Amino acid sequence: MRTRIAILLGSLFLLCATAALPAAEVAVFAAASLTDCLTEIGKDYQKSGGAEVSFNFGASSLLARQIEEGAPADIFFSADEAKMNDLERRGLIETNTRVSRLGNSLVIVVPGDGGATIAKAADLANPQIKRVALADPGAVPAGVYAKAWLQRIGLWAAVEPKVIPALNVRAALAAVESGNVDAGIVFKTDAAVSRKVKVACAPPPGQTPDISYPMAMLKSAGDPDKARKFLAYLNSGAAGRVFEKFGFALRAPRR
Amino acid sequence: MSSEEWRIVWFTAWVSVLSVACILPAGLPLAWILARRDWPGKSVVETIVTLPLVLPPVATGLILLRLLGNRGAIGRFFNDTLHLQLVFTWRAVLAALTVMSFPLFVRSARSAFEDVNPRFEQIARTLGANEWRVFFTISAPLALRGIVGGMLLAFARALGEFGATVMVAGTIRGQTTISLAIFQAVDLGHDPTAYRLLGVSVALAFGAVWTSEWLLRRREASR
Amino acid sequence: MKLALKGLSLPLREFALEADVILERRSTAIFGPSGAGKTSLLDVIAGLRRPASAWIEFNGRLLADTARGVDLPPRLRRIGYVSQDLALFPHLSVRNNLLYGSRGGGAGGDVFSYDHVTRVLEIGPLAERAVTELSGGEQQRVALARALLASPQLLLLDEPLASLDSALKTRIIPYLARVRDEFGTPMLYVTHDRAEARALCEEVLEMWRGKIVKQIGMKEWTE
Repeated sequence: MRTRIAILLGSLFLLCATAALPAAEVAVFAAASLTDCLTEIGKDYQKSGGAEVSFNFGASSLLARQIEEGAPADIFFSADEAKMNDLERRGLIETNTRVSRLGNSLVIVVPGDGGATIAKAADLANPQIKRVALADPGAVPAGVYAKAWLQRIGLWAAVEPKVIPALNVRAALAAVESGNVDAGIVFKTDAAVSRKVKVACAPPPGQTPDISYPMAMLKSAGDPDKARKFLAYLNSGAAGRVFEKFGFALRAPRR
Repeated sequence: MSSEEWRIVWFTAWVSVLSVACILPAGLPLAWILARRDWPGKSVVETIVTLPLVLPPVATGLILLRLLGNRGAIGRFFNDTLHLQLVFTWRAVLAALTVMSFPLFVRSARSAFEDVNPRFEQIARTLGANEWRVFFTISAPLALRGIVGGMLLAFARALGEFGATVMVAGTIRGQTTISLAIFQAVDLGHDPTAYRLLGVSVALAFGAVWTSEWLLRRREASR
Repeated sequence: MKLALKGLSLPLREFALEADVILERRSTAIFGPSGAGKTSLLDVIAGLRRPASAWIEFNGRLLADTARGVDLPPRLRRIGYVSQDLALFPHLSVRNNLLYGSRGGGAGGDVFSYDHVTRVLEIGPLAERAVTELSGGEQQRVALARALLASPQLLLLDEPLASLDSALKTRIIPYLARVRDEFGTPMLYVTHDRAEARALCEEVLEMWRGKIVKQIGMKEWTE
């Protein structure tokens, strides 16, 4: 009887040990708004003979925090420069791999099946708009941009009490889709992938802060060679076409 | 501790107390019925009651989000008829805490009722008492220690609830619980806040569980 | 007094309890070895256990008729019950135990008044005591008095003297005789002690493995 238990425990242990081996070769931590386009790019990359890439999507602030605490990431693709700056300050990234080539813009969305009408940003201050979903404006890039924009046009004081902070921009989008909030501010690219929300209005160009998505390889990358190769692919024309397809703006790469 | 942090502690404490108050009207009779009666399908009821204890809290939270959301079966009624929004308000926090702590209370109270000699209830019936009177004058008083122990356990569980709460209520200023605030503080990098709230959380939970265990021991001793 | 049991049947662990009998004497002993089903019979008569089938009528009132779905709850049967373990409510004082079933006047009038009952059983001075402070004999009399104060039309006693020593038994038997004589309430008296049965009852039902094997007057039984 005891030998049987020992064999069972032994094989369980082996099973766990093998399961603990990393399945993918490149681990990318990326902002939630990049979910759909990066997933497609990852598939394209593998089809063209590249390594297998795994993605961890979430709020850039949370991901940065996880990386600081030692999470095993090879590449970080953030939705704002601030989070990348934090990591660079702590010496966690390979600075010569840091590049920003993506831009985005904000939109105000409302639930697809009706609700209050919003023709311009100032309508957010109307009393019938009771709840506005934002990615947490304290730290998540989409929320930080939204707050900065609303501050710029003098609406933040009126909107702040109505804010429902969401874990990340996709959670904010989901809140609008479910009809549990009256409106939300998300990226144009997020609104584009959802069929359950309507874009109510968008700020004129220049009114919002500059939205920029830096990417970089981390010093702790498991296989720096493979990581660099994927980073190069992310900067290629093929990936660029996918980004544009999803509505991101391509700009001249800057450091 | 800042005044904002005290507000969070105060909010968490009173909504946890309120959740226990909400558990009692349904939980007490249910515990008694489970202790005393048998019927076909009883195990189904037992399983449903135990589910929030066993399901991942976020799973329960997802179910609640569906039900209490503005388009959900329950949320729609509140929103359209009573003009009360449930999700993303303190009511959703209350609902999450109540649902998550319910099974803990029922198990405790049921065990307490099972420990009451059924003879007492039977004699009370022969003396002319109807079922309500039997419950309030005989069963409940004799099971009181276990019931109170269950209430304390439910309170402690409510204090620490996170998974379901984050799904239905998020982190809105003025109605954030301690556990949600800790999560948000860590997320934003405000570690000192997180640790202060952690300390309060441990103290509250410790107090509640210790008292519950003490009551349970006294019940053992008095038998 | 007329208690009629027809077609009574209740499956027990090793055999079935069955009864088809008419009782008309003022005090009837139910006699048999332990495990014969005597307590179960009392439980069915009092309405504390539901039989598989039975027709029970007492003084013209239908208490149970399983064929037609009639099953009067215990509180409406006006049948007093002194159980073997007495089941005095531990969380109530002696006085509150006594008054639990009291209807304050009504049927029975003065005979079942608090003063009269406590005088007959000599427990007046015990009123404010806690139940746990009473001696065995005192507890016995309080349990008896409690049942009487509910103005029962029939009294069921389950081995009331079983846990007492013989000296105490001899002291309590006169009280039981007083109850029989002064209150006029018919009683069914379960015992496995011949002397008790002889002292208090006019008729004997002998039970063996769930069946009533003999119904006989006391005079013939003791010959």
